[in-house]
Amino acid sequence: MKTNFLGLELKSPVIIAAGPWSRDGESIRQSLATGVGAVITETIVSDPKIDVRPRIAYNGLGAQNIRLYSDVQIEGWEREMEIAKSNGGIVIANVSAHTPSELAYLAVKMEKYGADGIELGLSTPMGEGLEVAASDPAEVYEMTRYVVENVKIPVMVKLSQNVTNLSRVAKAVQEAGGSAVSAINAIRCVLGVNIETMEPLLPTYGGYSGAPIKPLGLASVASIAQTVDIPICGVGGIDSYKDGLEYIMLGASAVQVGTALMLKGRDYVRKIVEELDRWGEENRISDVKEIRGKALEKLKSFEEIKIEPLTCHADNSIPCIEGCNMCIDACMYGAISRKEDNGIHIYDQRCTGCGLCTFLCGAKKLQLQW
Amino acid sequence: MNIKEIARQAGVSVATVSRVLNHPETVAPKTRERILDLMEQMDYKPNWFARGLNFNKTYTLALLIPNILNPAYVEIAEGVESVANRKGYSVLLCITEGEVEKERQYIQTLIDRHIDGVILVSSLLNGDDINYLKQQGVAVVLVGENNGNSSEPMVRIDCCAAAYQAVQHLLNCGHREIALVYGHTPVMENKHKIEGYKKALQEAGIPLRPEYLVEEQNTEEGGYLATRKLLGLKERPRAIFTTSDLLAFGVIDALRDAELNIPDDVAVMGFDNIRMAKLMVPKLSTVAKPLHKMGLSSARLLLDVIESQGNGNMAMREIVLQSKLKIRKSCGHKERIKEIF
Repeated sequence: MKTNFLGLELKSPVIIAAGPWSRDGESIRQSLATGVGAVITETIVSDPKIDVRPRIAYNGLGAQNIRLYSDVQIEGWEREMEIAKSNGGIVIANVSAHTPSELAYLAVKMEKYGADGIELGLSTPMGEGLEVAASDPAEVYEMTRYVVENVKIPVMVKLSQNVTNLSRVAKAVQEAGGSAVSAINAIRCVLGVNIETMEPLLPTYGGYSGAPIKPLGLASVASIAQTVDIPICGVGGIDSYKDGLEYIMLGASAVQVGTALMLKGRDYVRKIVEELDRWGEENRISDVKEIRGKALEKLKSFEEIKIEPLTCHADNSIPCIEGCNMCIDACMYGAISRKEDNGIHIYDQRCTGCGLCTFLCGAKKLQLQW
Repeated sequence: MNIKEIARQAGVSVATVSRVLNHPETVAPKTRERILDLMEQMDYKPNWFARGLNFNKTYTLALLIPNILNPAYVEIAEGVESVANRKGYSVLLCITEGEVEKERQYIQTLIDRHIDGVILVSSLLNGDDINYLKQQGVAVVLVGENNGNSSEPMVRIDCCAAAYQAVQHLLNCGHREIALVYGHTPVMENKHKIEGYKKALQEAGIPLRPEYLVEEQNTEEGGYLATRKLLGLKERPRAIFTTSDLLAFGVIDALRDAELNIPDDVAVMGFDNIRMAKLMVPKLSTVAKPLHKMGLSSARLLLDVIESQGNGNMAMREIVLQSKLKIRKSCGHKERIKEIF
């Protein structure tokens, strides 16, 4: 499934996100071979620091990382880019800095070294001040504008969910001449505390990524899509082609995979790309634009939602999962009970049609109807 | 072993080998790799002196700093060296002692030695001096503002905003009697820091007290002496902001000798964030100046000038870097979260 993103024709909307898996030319070259539309470099900074150890933690759901930046100096990227692009492919350089001129310098250099586009990382959730740089639309505008004025390649800005009004920030990017936004960056977190040692799992605040942040990413992409016209790259918790489609249907033109690659390897990304292509063939969709934003049209205001007198109905011809009482335990309105024949009884008068039980039922025997 | 022999063995022209050495990007990657491998096998080393004659280049840069005992300048030097070295340049270190005459002498010596470029840190040279340098074919980059409103490529921070932010932080910590101890050097940067200090106090409606502004040598001794003066005042300050960490070290020493508690009796805030700042007792709150990054960035700009050979094809002419409050223990703040972010 192809897409047009940043003015570039991508053979797949799946892009590999910035991270240590794109730390040098060789790793980027390998990632490009998975069939993705493009690969983004690990975040390039002007003064790389020694990485802390450990710096990644995982709790089975999501991951916390502490400052994963490239340890290759900007000069070194000349050679790395040459290796990265030796078999062709699109490479986007992720650069991060604290001032417009520092940022633009890195972007200009990466353009010279052959980057096809720039992604600005203005929103790292760790160690960069209590308020992430990207929380201030004026600052985002200045940074973006300065870079846009100094390079000819397209500039995308990676936004953070750690802001009160993401729409304003996205607008600042558009007004500054940015070609696209990517959302969302990892979210400031403390992954957990070891209650035996009474210590946090990692020694400082970090960025939370992986499956648990997908709903936050989806909401962010949808709200950006309802604000600006520039294309959006959906990021956050994409672990399957279905996740990618959800982002696209809420307005994304492309999507980024990061944590899934980190946890499951490059071949897993290849699988996502192939499965997305297969879904496209089965549904006769060859271009992202045919489905982009389809679900967005159905994201309504409260007053636009027509309230139907829905209540829960149980299809007792389908047996319950043995020992399962989840719907009964969870019904806040006391509307569900177990019948003598082991079926499910719904008290119509008590059911308010909240819908929770339909999501809990593993046997899929509950439905809202009227 | 010479370049002709390499060319013969590789089956390419001398010009191609020369391009591998001087403009590698213009040679097909496979050919280039083959020639580089051959050079390594045959232990070929270009004759740098002859190269200098041919290209009018010596692959030597100079870094002029005011003082080598101030670790702030050493951090800049390390940044400069690491970029230069990676690009095949050596760096000469020149100490100006903050004296414009010594700086001028050095400039002449460096011109005579056919240096490719110079990085002037907190320079006292004026526009004429710098133009003279450029006319002699020497590339120039400035670190921190110089004396002559030069339009040369520059790496700097906003010293006024940095000092303003530091004094505002001291005000937010509840201090109102805030003194400023500033060094004789670096002149221009300190001028801006004084402006920032005054602006923050004025905005807070605190009248300036001339006796709270003390100028001294930019050393620990300077900080010590300045503090003795301040402690001798009828109303001693509750906080002391300094224009360098070295001065702040001297301030802390003097406060300790006077058996005053930091920050309860007198709070201290430095400027630079040199590495020893976090080893002070109490740990020094300061303005983190991105010293190493300034070194890296200035060397990058200088090499851009040299490599663009005056064709104006430079990435950027000015890089303004961000300074940041580094809040530790000596300023008397109460919120731990501020030390983390």
